[in-house]
Amino acid sequence: MRKVKYITRYDLNLPVQEEEIKNLKISDIIYLNGVLITARDQAHKRIMEYIKNNKVLPESFQRLKGSAIYHCGPIIKELNQKYEIISGGPTTSERMLSENEIVKFLGIRFIIGKGGMTNLNTKENMVVYLSFTGGCGAIVNQKIEKITRVEWIDLGKCEAVWFLKVKEFGPLIVAQANGRSLYKK
Amino acid sequence: MEEKTSIKIKIEEALFDSIKRATTIVPLEIEMALSNLLKEEDSEIAVVQLNLMLENFKYGAAKEIPICQDTGVLNFFIDLGNEFPIMSNFKSIIEKAVLKATKTIPLRSNSVDPITNENPENNLGFNVPPIYLNIIENSSVLKITVLPKGGGAENVSRLFMLNPSNGLEKFQDIIIDVIKEAGGMPCPPIILGIGLGGDATLSMVLAKKALLRPFNQRHARKDIAKIEIELLDKINQLNIGVMGLGGKITCLDVRIEIAMRHPASFPVGLIVQCYSHRYASFEINEKGEIYNEI
Repeated sequence: MRKVKYITRYDLNLPVQEEEIKNLKISDIIYLNGVLITARDQAHKRIMEYIKNNKVLPESFQRLKGSAIYHCGPIIKELNQKYEIISGGPTTSERMLSENEIVKFLGIRFIIGKGGMTNLNTKENMVVYLSFTGGCGAIVNQKIEKITRVEWIDLGKCEAVWFLKVKEFGPLIVAQANGRSLYKK
Repeated sequence: MEEKTSIKIKIEEALFDSIKRATTIVPLEIEMALSNLLKEEDSEIAVVQLNLMLENFKYGAAKEIPICQDTGVLNFFIDLGNEFPIMSNFKSIIEKAVLKATKTIPLRSNSVDPITNENPENNLGFNVPPIYLNIIENSSVLKITVLPKGGGAENVSRLFMLNPSNGLEKFQDIIIDVIKEAGGMPCPPIILGIGLGGDATLSMVLAKKALLRPFNQRHARKDIAKIEIELLDKINQLNIGVMGLGGKITCLDVRIEIAMRHPASFPVGLIVQCYSHRYASFEINEKGEIYNEI
């Protein structure tokens, strides 16, 4: 473990208000507490189908204002109909389609993933992209207090939407915010 | 007959064990490489992440859970001595071990029907897992290596069919462009396996097999070793850094394997691997004794 000197750490509780995130700068480090959801390729496609066809999303999605979408397809252990996340690091964000529309529709303030999202409009949508280090799946097991809900389990355990209550989930690096990006591409 | 059955059971157990090690433990050489990087790195963003990577390796190994949730497509490399008593049934032995590993470790099921999107949640199905069989002459030993290959890094893999007139001159720049474009997506610092020559299929297989070479072991031929070092240096000037967020090191190692090519073709196979390069293997002899577990 090597100590760092120049990075600012923020501990934030979900849902966040706009004022709490507007001053976040790239390279800041965040630890999140509260409820967020996982969503990857198939969940993004399905949310968009609902939005496009004016179908009403499950009620649990209506309460995500100020929350976070985590690009993650976890390993789930099922025992007596109880689920546990065994390992749950981030997946490549660039694959997710229609994120700007989804962010606007649900009122999302954080996207968590790896590799960044070229088309994410952080400025206009007041959303912050947080990079969680790829491959660090096991350690997430320690940061999840509980699974509060699962939607769309028919998509499979990896692609379903998991509602997770997290505690000190981080270090999450502010990689895209206010139109700026840390990616070297 | 009984002896053969007992060897089969031993292979199945050793396979399960190898799958478990390959998904929950990172080889020491990788942990060392990242620890060394931690000392050299100037970027604090890289330092924060390297700290987490090393902590995650420890946590996964201690809890015996997959260090990355992407337990990949399990690739099996079989080196079969032609005097080893069992010459068949490997597919079914492997399938049994994969099924058990998926349920009990557990692994994520990464086998999805490309047409219907159905996932049988068992890591099995049409033509998976991939098995590469190599017959070794004058040997009575069976060696099996398991390489879980995650999606993020694999998505950056490529095949190039270059013009033989300038393929050798051009291939380095073409690979550099791919790595640059990919940025943080393959989970850098990456390891590259490259197959030069052969035909389209062979170059890709060689590229994948190159990943199994020990760390920093240069190709035996000096002209090839020189290209490996050149390419490694060039990629490390891109400043992509840990997870694409900037820093000194983007690539940990470049490994090139070659094969004779067709006069009209210059195939270049590129297989990209993430920093969390996990694999495990075992050897078993004709008496059913298991040794050399890595």
